[in-house]
Amino acid sequence: MDEATAIAVILFVILFPIVMTPVIMSAGGRSDKLRNALTLGTSTVTFILTISLYPVVMNGEIIQLTLFEILPDLEISLRLDILSFSLAAIASFIWLLCTIYSLDYMAEEHGGSRYYPVLVFTLGSCLGIFLAGDFFTLFVFFELMSLISYILVVHEETEQALKAGYKYLVMTIIGGLALFLGIIITFELGGTVSLGVGTIIDEVTFLSFLAFICFIIGFGMKAGMFPLHVWLPDAHPVAPSPASALLSGVMLKTGAYGLFRVIFHAFSVEVMQANNWDIVLGVLAVITIMLGSAVALTQNDIKRRLAYSSVGQMGYVLLGLSILNENAITGAMFHIFCHAIMKSCLFLAAGAIIWKTGKRLISDMGGVGREMPYTLGCFSVAALAMIGIPPLNGFLSKWTLGLGALDANITVYAIVLLISSLLNALYYLPIIVPAFFEIIGEDKGANAHAHGHGHALNFNVQDVAPRMLAPMVILAISTLLFGLSPINVQFELSQITSWFFLEGGIF
Amino acid sequence: MGLAQHFPALIIAILLGIAFLSPILYRWARKTSAPALITALSLSLVMGIVLLIQVHQGGTFYYHMGGWPPPFGVEFKVDFLRVYMLLVVLAVSLWIMVYALKDLEHELKTEMLGWYYSLYALLVGSMAGIALTNDLFNLFVLMEICAISACAIISIKEDRACLEASFKYLILSAMGTGCFLLGVAMLYMVTGQFNYDLVNEALPAAVEQYPNNMFAASSLFIVAFGTKAALFPLHVWLPDAHASAPSPSSAMLSGVVIKIYAFALFIMFYQLFPRPLLDSIPLNEIVLWLSTAGIMFGSIFAMVQVDLKKMLAYSSIGQIGYVFLGIGLDDTIALTGGFYHLLVHALMKSMLFMVAGVIIYSTGIRQIKQLAGVGQVLPLTMIAFTVGAASMIGIPGTGGLISKWYLALGALEVGRPFFVVIILASSLLNAVYYMPIIVNAFMHQETFEHEAKPVPRQMLVTLVIGVLAVIFFGVAPGLTLTLLENAIALFF
Repeated sequence: MDEATAIAVILFVILFPIVMTPVIMSAGGRSDKLRNALTLGTSTVTFILTISLYPVVMNGEIIQLTLFEILPDLEISLRLDILSFSLAAIASFIWLLCTIYSLDYMAEEHGGSRYYPVLVFTLGSCLGIFLAGDFFTLFVFFELMSLISYILVVHEETEQALKAGYKYLVMTIIGGLALFLGIIITFELGGTVSLGVGTIIDEVTFLSFLAFICFIIGFGMKAGMFPLHVWLPDAHPVAPSPASALLSGVMLKTGAYGLFRVIFHAFSVEVMQANNWDIVLGVLAVITIMLGSAVALTQNDIKRRLAYSSVGQMGYVLLGLSILNENAITGAMFHIFCHAIMKSCLFLAAGAIIWKTGKRLISDMGGVGREMPYTLGCFSVAALAMIGIPPLNGFLSKWTLGLGALDANITVYAIVLLISSLLNALYYLPIIVPAFFEIIGEDKGANAHAHGHGHALNFNVQDVAPRMLAPMVILAISTLLFGLSPINVQFELSQITSWFFLEGGIF
Repeated sequence: MGLAQHFPALIIAILLGIAFLSPILYRWARKTSAPALITALSLSLVMGIVLLIQVHQGGTFYYHMGGWPPPFGVEFKVDFLRVYMLLVVLAVSLWIMVYALKDLEHELKTEMLGWYYSLYALLVGSMAGIALTNDLFNLFVLMEICAISACAIISIKEDRACLEASFKYLILSAMGTGCFLLGVAMLYMVTGQFNYDLVNEALPAAVEQYPNNMFAASSLFIVAFGTKAALFPLHVWLPDAHASAPSPSSAMLSGVVIKIYAFALFIMFYQLFPRPLLDSIPLNEIVLWLSTAGIMFGSIFAMVQVDLKKMLAYSSIGQIGYVFLGIGLDDTIALTGGFYHLLVHALMKSMLFMVAGVIIYSTGIRQIKQLAGVGQVLPLTMIAFTVGAASMIGIPGTGGLISKWYLALGALEVGRPFFVVIILASSLLNAVYYMPIIVNAFMHQETFEHEAKPVPRQMLVTLVIGVLAVIFFGVAPGLTLTLLENAIALFF
């Protein structure tokens, strides 16, 4: 693929979903089938085209393209490099699966004509974030995505959802304004905000520190970093499950992506380490990990537990970014992939349980695994990956992060990783074990007659339809595949990203 | 050049002329009065554009009224910034008038319409004059015309709130004009001139002899223009006046009228006063802190309002603060931002007042609380509201972001990041009071219980134009900003 084609493809994957939004909206008024087909088609085409950029990226090409100047030196531009590609690929992949899942899930929900256009639009703006060529373009798409996804958060329109949505909106705007301040200071100090010029700020002054803090607030807010995570556990659970999967699985990653760009483009590794900014980030990351995991323990609503878990998991990525050596960056990047896969799998499975049984509380979920073994099977695999059981992908990312921490001689970070894994086990296993083994209701009576001997765990399979199951199964298999397979594309991409940033080149 | 060289005077003459004709036309040929006003406004807008082309080709030029050069005659000056102001005034008032034609039928008694057209033309004409004039006494006269017609388009509704508000406005406005006249007298005393450029030349020598005169005049000017432009803490008249007036009047007053005084203050500082003298008094610093207070308090007061139009009016106090912030920061980039905000705010605030007007027209609701679910019956109107509010907050893709970008950049340029934080904090406050309205309008669960009259297409079309304009100035600000940068460079 030559450069012109690649540019066309980049433009297409951003604009195509955005252009399709009104089409899907108007189709929604006529026929549900047509609307669903269009949505599915859009995300499939986008996914395939995004993946088709793989050879370009692996050739080591960096595409930086200015579309037009909005103000002098301030432009709308696009960029494709290894990091952009990795995130765009995983985002469009998860989006495709969630779209397939939505087809059945949303069939009985209200407001599908609003849901699908928004879903597609956020896909376009999310890819816009990942493929933006400068901080301003990134900011524009970031705001678009954040504000539009509000509609996904409040989709249920319950009072709880509106409340959570309002919190989300206020935090989003605070984050957006902080980003604005960060970007404008960067622009003032460096005269540009393009990602193509290497380090923009290398002098350290009060202003540049202010810019750093603003970026941390803006992107950290999105990534659910302590103490700006408060919106996340409210907003993610109230959305429809496929939207929760996207919010937690993909949209959180835009914050982490932004921090990658800030650390390696606006500043540099040297600036970060010379001023102990990496320690600021590290401390925040440790608190985020511990807090997310600890609070997750106390939640009884399954989706809330998953949302808190997301807070903790994003902490890993931040931790990797604060250590800033080869293994740590590889681990952080790989954890972005892992978490996207695991968390969306968990949310989809939780959604399936709620959809089928109406049970949201973990304490009610005993025996659910025998009714929905496939769903719970996927859930279990993803949960085990979260805990970091080998050979699933979560193990690999924690291993790499741990190596990074030890390389940097910060043993504390490695211990934090271990403790949080333990906490993960503590809050995921109590969902899985009772779901399969607890005996409830009629079973209990039946077993009492059997004098407590040889519990017959009756399987009464009533699992969800294949269209909902397939995405979960694919994701569950992915956790295994990307943990075990000798040709691990995601891990390679992460390693290359790490080399790319730390050594300034792909090979 | 022929006729074209008389355009500065012709614009004002046409507008004042139609002001005299409107009541007569309305009395004897009712159908022609509205088209006549629209024609006059369009014609003057076209002439304004021709003036812009002239300035672009030939640079700044002067026009002597009646051929009398100063110091005997009144002089008009046509440079980039003045033409910019002129165009903003004329374009926005034409746009508002198109909307007003439908809205006024509903808000006013029929026999009042002719008078309204007359007052409106008078208002626009006087503002065009303020934009162009180069003479202090002429400015005073035009300010009086402007103040009286502005009061009249509030009180024309003849209900208790309007009369009270317009009386308050009249008193404070008269105080403002009084201060201005006193200031002019101070300057005239020591220089013997009314023409800006001549005063500017004579001042350095005069100040040595009478140092206090210029100080007194400058502080009087801040009070005078501060009162008229609702600079904090002289804003007290604005919320009542703008909220109780008929919606097109509110749009006009909040959108355009207060801006012209901010512009006039700028001219006083940067053209009338010699630069070294201006630097010797911390005038900019005063304006800077007053505007900062205005930005914060305007937004904070807006948060607690229950009446939609009152909220918009308080929001105007905050927003006019941005324009003054640009003047206070005393930096070319910040001034560019301030004047860009002047245009953007004229568009978005007028549009928001029009939206409020449409809501009142259709459902009769004024309270914010009752607006829940209004998006179901007036979707297009509420989309216009959303775009206007987004621009107030400074969401990318709207004009508000561009002006904030420039203001913030200017604040950083002069090394005062504190004011960037102020700008952002006020954006956040804006979000806090605009967002709930939007959310409630669209996301309300119950159906909307009030009756809603169908809205005339003409009103909706003006809203759509407003939406497009706000987005246009957010996406393609290049030309306007170049114009402004050139315009402001002339003052440094």
